[in-house]
Amino acid sequence: MVMAEQLIDGRVIEACQQGDRAAFQLLFETYKDRVFSIAVYSSGGDRAIADDVTQQIFLKLFTAIRQFRGDAEFTTWLYRLVVNACLDEKRRRRRLLPWGEEVALRNPSDKKPQEKQYARLEVSQAVQAAIAELKPKFRLPILLKYIEGLSYEEIASVMGCSKGTVASRLNRGHSQLAKRLSHLNNQSLWSE
Amino acid sequence: MLSRHVTKDISAYCHGELSSEKSKLFAEHIISCSKCRTEFEEVKLGVKLAEQLPRLSAPDYLWTELETLLTQQPTTTSARPSRYWPWQMKAAAAAMLLLMSSWGVWLVYTNRSYPIQTDNGKPAWIVKRLDGAPTIGSEKISNNGQLAVGEWLETDGNSRAQIEVSSIGNVDIDENTRVRLLESHPTEHRLELARGKMSARIWAPPRLFFVNTPSAVAADLGCAYTLEVDDHGASLLHVTAGWVALELRDRESIVPAGAACETRPGLGPGTPYFEDSSPAFRNALKDVDFDPDAATRSTALVMMLEQARPRDTLTLWHLLPRVNGDERVRVYEKMAALSPPPQGVTQDGVLRLDQQMLDTWKQALEPAWIGVGKGMLKPIAESYWKVKNGLSRRLKDMTPK
Repeated sequence: MVMAEQLIDGRVIEACQQGDRAAFQLLFETYKDRVFSIAVYSSGGDRAIADDVTQQIFLKLFTAIRQFRGDAEFTTWLYRLVVNACLDEKRRRRRLLPWGEEVALRNPSDKKPQEKQYARLEVSQAVQAAIAELKPKFRLPILLKYIEGLSYEEIASVMGCSKGTVASRLNRGHSQLAKRLSHLNNQSLWSE
Repeated sequence: MLSRHVTKDISAYCHGELSSEKSKLFAEHIISCSKCRTEFEEVKLGVKLAEQLPRLSAPDYLWTELETLLTQQPTTTSARPSRYWPWQMKAAAAAMLLLMSSWGVWLVYTNRSYPIQTDNGKPAWIVKRLDGAPTIGSEKISNNGQLAVGEWLETDGNSRAQIEVSSIGNVDIDENTRVRLLESHPTEHRLELARGKMSARIWAPPRLFFVNTPSAVAADLGCAYTLEVDDHGASLLHVTAGWVALELRDRESIVPAGAACETRPGLGPGTPYFEDSSPAFRNALKDVDFDPDAATRSTALVMMLEQARPRDTLTLWHLLPRVNGDERVRVYEKMAALSPPPQGVTQDGVLRLDQQMLDTWKQALEPAWIGVGKGMLKPIAESYWKVKNGLSRRLKDMTPK
C-alpha cells in the first residue's frame, strides 16, 4: 500500500461525497496509475482507449461516490467499478484490439542476451502482450494481484466470486502465460 | 503428506495464501508427485512472468480533461462548505498508520507464515539471536531482528543466529559468518554467503531456495545441508537430507544426502563424493578436480578408479563429461564393472555424452547412491525427488530444540 493510499480515509471520501473538488483530486492522484494500468492491459495496450476508460471510471466514481455507504472497503468498491468498466469496454468493442506495434512480440532470436536491460524490457513487453490475449476472467485476477497487490479474498470480493474460483483462475492464467512465453524460460533474462 | 493432487493450490502456494501447515503438506506432495511438480513448474514460470508487469503512469493531461468533464456534470449536492481539512486528514492518517504498525508488529510475532515486510515495503526475514550479538547492517540485534532484502547479517567469533526463510524453512548462521538477503519472492528466495558457515533445513519444492557463494550457486532440491565458504571464496557443501545442486554456468554437481562437494572460484563446483569413501579416494579426487598439473590429475584418476566402490559411481558419473579421451574410457569401464549400464545405454553413447543415456544410467544408479533396497528401485528411479517422502518429519527431528 503506498503512502498516498493511506491518506484516503473516511474524511476524504466524505468530502468527495460533498462534492469537494480538492478531495476528489487527491483520490484521483492516489489511484490514477493503478486504474490506468489495468485499463491499458485490458485494452490490448491501446493507451487512447485506456485514457477514455480511466476518465469514464473516475467520472462514474465522482457521480456514484455518494452511493458508497462504507459497508465495503473503498478500494474493493473502486476496483469493482474498474473491472466493470473494462468488461463493458470489451463488450462494446466486441474484441480486443491487437497490442501496439511498439510492444509486439519479437522473435527471441533477435535479442542480444548480453544486454540485460534490453532483455528485461523484452520480457516485460512480451508479458504485456500475452496478458492482453488472455480471456478477461483470467486476465483481471492477474492484474488485480500483480498491479494492485490484492489478496485472494479481496479479488474474490471485487470479482463477486469465491476465493477458490480466484485461485483456479489465477492458476489457469499463470499456466496460459507460461505456455505462451515458454521461450522466455531463461533465468538470465530476469535474474540479477 | 496429502494423497490427493494439489494442482488447484499452486498459485495460492506461490502467493502465500495457504496456511503454514497446508504449505508444508503441499510442498511434501509436490516433491513426491511428478504430475503436480510438472504443473508447479509451469505455474511458477507464469508467476515469474506476471511479476514482470510494470505499473504504468497515467498521463498528466488526464486530470485537466477530467476536471473539464466534471464541470459539465450536473451537481446534485448542496453547496454547503466541505468538512475536509488537510490537517484533520493527516491526523486521521497518522492514527491509522499507528494502528496499522501495531497490527503489523502483532502479525509478525503471531503469524509468520509468509515473508514479512519492512516499513519501506521490502520483503524481510525474521532473525533470531542464538548466541552473542549478531549484527544486521551495523546494528546489533537483541533477541529478534529483521533481515531485509539487501541487508547483511554478520556474526563474530562468539555469536550465532537463526533465520526463518519465509515459510519454507530455516537457516542457522554459525560464528564468523557474513550473509546477505538478495531476494525473497514467492518463486525465489536467495541468500548470499560471503564467508563462514550456514546450515539450512528447507521443506519446499525444488528450486525455490538458492544460496550464492563466490564460486557456485547452491540450489535447494528439498533438503538439509551445511555450506561453508572460506576467506578465498572456496566452498564446501555437506548434504544431510535430500539433494542439493551446485551450479556455475554450464557446470552442475548434484549432491545427495551423505555426500559432499567442494567448489573453487573461477572453476565452479568440483565432483561430488560420498563422505564414507576412502581417504585415498577423496584426496585423489581433490587433485583430479583442482590440481593445475595434467600429469598429477592423470595419476590421481588412476588412484581414484582403484579405490572406487559401487556407491562411488556418483563421483564417476559426474566425472564422465569432465574428462576426455582415454580417461573417459577408463571411467566408463570402471563404472560398467561396478554397475553394468542398463538396457539401451551403450559404451559408444556414453563416451559421446548422449544426455538421454547418461540420465538413464543415473536413474539406475540412484538407489545405490541413496542407499535403498532393490524392492524400491522402480518408484525411486522414476525421479530422485521421491526420496523426499517423510523428509518433513525427519527435518522436524533435526530442528534444534
